[in-house]
Amino acid sequence: MLIDAKEAFTSNSEDALITKVKSGDQQAYAQLYTLHVKRVYALCLRLLADKEHAEDATQEVFVQLWHKIASFEGQSQFSTWLHSVTSNIAISYLRKHKNWLQKVVSFEQSGMDEQSTADCQGLNGLDKLVLRLPERARMVFVLHAIEGYRHEEIATMLGMAVGSSKSQYHRARQLLKEWYENE
Amino acid sequence: MNKPDFEQFLTQSLNDTKHELTPEKDLWPGVERALAKSEAAKPVKNGWNKLAAIAACTVAALLTAQLFIKTPQTNSVAAMSDFFAKQKQSLLVQYEGSPAVTDNWQQQLSELEEAESAIKQALENEPNNSALLSMLAQVYQQQLDLINKVHAPKWQTI
Repeated sequence: MLIDAKEAFTSNSEDALITKVKSGDQQAYAQLYTLHVKRVYALCLRLLADKEHAEDATQEVFVQLWHKIASFEGQSQFSTWLHSVTSNIAISYLRKHKNWLQKVVSFEQSGMDEQSTADCQGLNGLDKLVLRLPERARMVFVLHAIEGYRHEEIATMLGMAVGSSKSQYHRARQLLKEWYENE
Repeated sequence: MNKPDFEQFLTQSLNDTKHELTPEKDLWPGVERALAKSEAAKPVKNGWNKLAAIAACTVAALLTAQLFIKTPQTNSVAAMSDFFAKQKQSLLVQYEGSPAVTDNWQQQLSELEEAESAIKQALENEPNNSALLSMLAQVYQQQLDLINKVHAPKWQTI
């Protein structure tokens, strides 16, 4: 894409862009995409621990956002609202893409292997360890420690008890500590 | 040089976390194509379709519950299969020509159908196994939910 995010932002405030998008302006939507795609992708990659799935989910976020943006009333910051939309879409993406056996027996997927984390650009040492965590521990850790959600909110988002969210967080920390110390 | 202890490493790393990462490929063309496709195939809004679909799923869930509250009988599988096959067929007919929000929903549906076949095969040996019957009902319900969800997405749940 040739649109420069900063240039786009200075010539159109975000509010003005959103108003244009609500009236069906796809060029304004392309600018809004440029402003937020890196943030959305980062969250999808950390939650899904898979580059291709993160790219697919990012596209799904922006396809759904186009249809959903009319319901954004400006009561919170757009970036906060988009963040919550992204988290929910990434979680539902993960559920949708489980194979039938995982769906039937609630089988938990493991995270990325070490080699694949090394191929991800822009990640720090902690990120690379986080992507190796098993699915539930990883999602809780990302949402709580990195994104700042409360366990009550995470429990609602992931459909689990608050206690389970706390214990998954503890499990994630234990695994990260173990891997870090054995590195 | 000693490496910092885990708590220091964690605090420092969380402070340094990049909240923006660049995807390796340009994702916009895919978004643009999907938007063009969904705009071209916008369905005529019909509230009755959605209501009927939701009602069908509710009836399906009630019937399933009723089947399991009563003692399972040897014809439970056949009765359940017959009922869900009709529900599924009527949903597919109802949504024929409506655009789906994801491209791979048919693949997801066929994975659920694979699960259905595997469970039915297991039920041939143990027709009264309530855990298997419950799994079968769950897989049927997931198929109906999937068909509804991809054709009538509930944006408010996002």
